[in-house]
Amino acid sequence: MSKFEKLNEKVWDFFSSVDLAVSLFIVISIGAAVGTIIPQQPEPEITVRFFSKIMSEENAIKIYEVINLLDLNNLYHSWWFTFLLFMFALNLIVCSLDRLPVLIKSFKSQPQPLPISIIEKMPIKREIKFNEKSDFKNKVIDLLKKKGFQTDIFHTSEALQIQAKKWIKTRLAIYVTHLSILIILAGALIGTFWGFRGHMNIVEGTGTDFAISDDGKAIPLGFKVFCDRFEVDYYENSAVPKAYRSYLRIIENENPVKFNGKETVLIEVNHPLSYKGITFYQASYGFQPQENAEFRFTYFDKNGKPVPLKAKFEEKFKLPGQTVSVSVIDFSPALGIDEQGRLFNMTTDMINPAVLLLFEDKGKRENQWILKKIPETWETPYGRIRFDELWGAQYTGIQVRKDPGVPLIYAGSILMCIGLFVSLFLRPINYFVTIKNNTICFYAPSSKGKVMTEKKLEEIISELKGEVS
Amino acid sequence: MSYQIISIAGLFYILAMPIYIIYMLSKNNKVGYLASTTLLLGASIHIYGFVRRFLEMYAINHSVMRSIPITNLYESLVFFVLSLVIGYLFIEWKYRKKSFGVFISIIAGIGIGLTELLGMAREVQPLVPALKSNWLLAHVTLSFIAYAAFAISFITALLHIIVSSENKKSFKYYFSTALLGVMLFVFISMIIDIITAGNPKSVKMFHSTLGNSSLSIAILSWLSLLGFIFISYKFSDKLVKILKDFRIDDNFLEDITYKGIAFGFPIFTIGGLVFGAIWADQAWGRYWGWDPKETWSLITWFVYAFYLHAKFIRGWQANKTSMIAVVGFIVTLFTYLGVNLFLSGLHSYGSM
Repeated sequence: MSKFEKLNEKVWDFFSSVDLAVSLFIVISIGAAVGTIIPQQPEPEITVRFFSKIMSEENAIKIYEVINLLDLNNLYHSWWFTFLLFMFALNLIVCSLDRLPVLIKSFKSQPQPLPISIIEKMPIKREIKFNEKSDFKNKVIDLLKKKGFQTDIFHTSEALQIQAKKWIKTRLAIYVTHLSILIILAGALIGTFWGFRGHMNIVEGTGTDFAISDDGKAIPLGFKVFCDRFEVDYYENSAVPKAYRSYLRIIENENPVKFNGKETVLIEVNHPLSYKGITFYQASYGFQPQENAEFRFTYFDKNGKPVPLKAKFEEKFKLPGQTVSVSVIDFSPALGIDEQGRLFNMTTDMINPAVLLLFEDKGKRENQWILKKIPETWETPYGRIRFDELWGAQYTGIQVRKDPGVPLIYAGSILMCIGLFVSLFLRPINYFVTIKNNTICFYAPSSKGKVMTEKKLEEIISELKGEVS
Repeated sequence: MSYQIISIAGLFYILAMPIYIIYMLSKNNKVGYLASTTLLLGASIHIYGFVRRFLEMYAINHSVMRSIPITNLYESLVFFVLSLVIGYLFIEWKYRKKSFGVFISIIAGIGIGLTELLGMAREVQPLVPALKSNWLLAHVTLSFIAYAAFAISFITALLHIIVSSENKKSFKYYFSTALLGVMLFVFISMIIDIITAGNPKSVKMFHSTLGNSSLSIAILSWLSLLGFIFISYKFSDKLVKILKDFRIDDNFLEDITYKGIAFGFPIFTIGGLVFGAIWADQAWGRYWGWDPKETWSLITWFVYAFYLHAKFIRGWQANKTSMIAVVGFIVTLFTYLGVNLFLSGLHSYGSM
């Protein structure tokens, strides 16, 4: 063997070893765990602040230098972590190439009788003796076949040997699992090269044609996304949001895109929208009033007929059939009353929106709070005014993603589940039976699940006893 | 209220512990039946409480799929304990052995006790939008069933190490007895915490012991923790003798350890990792994002993968593999509780 071949073999053995696999499990685990402790953010201040909690600032800065050198603040995308994952994949490939052909060959090869000395060393052994003579051989074989075993019979000089096996091919399942991991890793790789992730905040009534990636770059989408409307429902008497949703419209080359015949699509948490491989997820929302934000009211005239009204901030408007002019002079997204009875604003979430209306009628000035959720406040000296909404003051936070690797991830996941279930729930079973005169011995070569194997052998034996007597 | 019923179930679990101990010492079958019946009764009350809570949630959410009570830390702990006890009762019935019931009752008792101690919100809460998905049921229930399977394998693995370590100077003897001592201390400390707390809502863990505001009591508690470890170290060989007298064989323990992992690992893979990834893909727009919970799930997965490879390919046996199973559950515990208590991330529904 030449030196090169020797080296080649050494390298192959290294990559096909379980020791490498097991070491990688440990190293990757430790690395990943470190990443959950050190903040995964590129800004140096965050890391320094984190470490200066437990040490002096000077040392924290030194630590930051080390962290930056090893990419520990971007650990999961660092060169060494990627390298470890690459080694993991390589190990899986070489391992499978090394072992799979041997396994397949073993399925094809003719079974051979084992020398009795090997059989007797097996960890599980049950022996029964019968007094009367009987056709033990066929009874044992019939019983094993009834239980789904495949049998091979050998007449050796020492004894009659029966090899019974069941679910032998499930040994292949573990390679399905290994393959599935490779498929998932491939899917992830495709996602990093040909996909992107970003977010965009669209204020109600506006649109945008780009997303901002996680590292702050603008990604053009090739079409424009409009948010016509954004709504949040809160649980009653609570600041906990129950549901939030955006009504989106996509305009491509000046033409609206239709989804199931409709231009407007509703997205919610857990219900995203996909277009041209790009998916839009409802992620967050916030308060960001715009110049053109519009207060919308419904005025009920003397006959109770509803009339829609709208106005911008501090813009005067008339109530139909009245001389009074009205304007919005204050707004609170979450109006509350403190212990002294003073009004205050709780948060910027629109939990309890309220407007302060100023009524000016023939030199008389009056103002009144109108709360959207409390109908008693809608009654004014000039009639019933319902505050419907402030439109154009909230933005919807949308997570944008394109990932062509996802189908591979799904396929790999399904394969992984199948492989694991088959390989762990349908373990191959091997029994060896020797028959000599009136003595029948059952052997099992594996010590895994010893108690249950013994129990199952016990069952077979008691059935056999029943048949013989 | 449902949580009061579940607390009663917890009392039954704690009650089952001394009965199991008496059974182990006396080997009286009648006591054994009484122990199992107590545990079964606890489980029945637990299931009743669980159903009651389901109905309470259904009254708010009006959706069967989204009313399974597994939406916050309290509910998940309750579900974990229920899976653990039912799993144990199944093994007891299948193998006709009651040998590790006492440890199950300790963990079940600690589990329910923790819900009281940590001052968790136990009232039924409305669902936040992120949890409004049918994946909730599949992802969370399967994850916790897997955790329960790992917990069972942890107990048998720990017992296995104790039973097979006669040499008091060996590492495995130190390891297992120290762990046992800590577990006992935590159990007793929790009982003291509950008794001494004036207001049941303000109970804090270790408040009456390790973290006591009085320095002397705190020091005393730390000393007694060491004492517990020492006692456990000193007398575990007696425990070994009892367990051996009891015909608890290491094959049985190794078998259950393996079965627990062989059952839990695929369930965890499909429920925890795969379903979790699919749900994250649909809700957050990425299937994997190295969120602390995700990362620690992966670490848990690696540890048990290590166990399976060590056992099947390397042919490691007995105590070596049991040691991995013990470490595996400690990592699982961190994935479950530690991540929510110490690290921040997207799985914040699980915090208190």
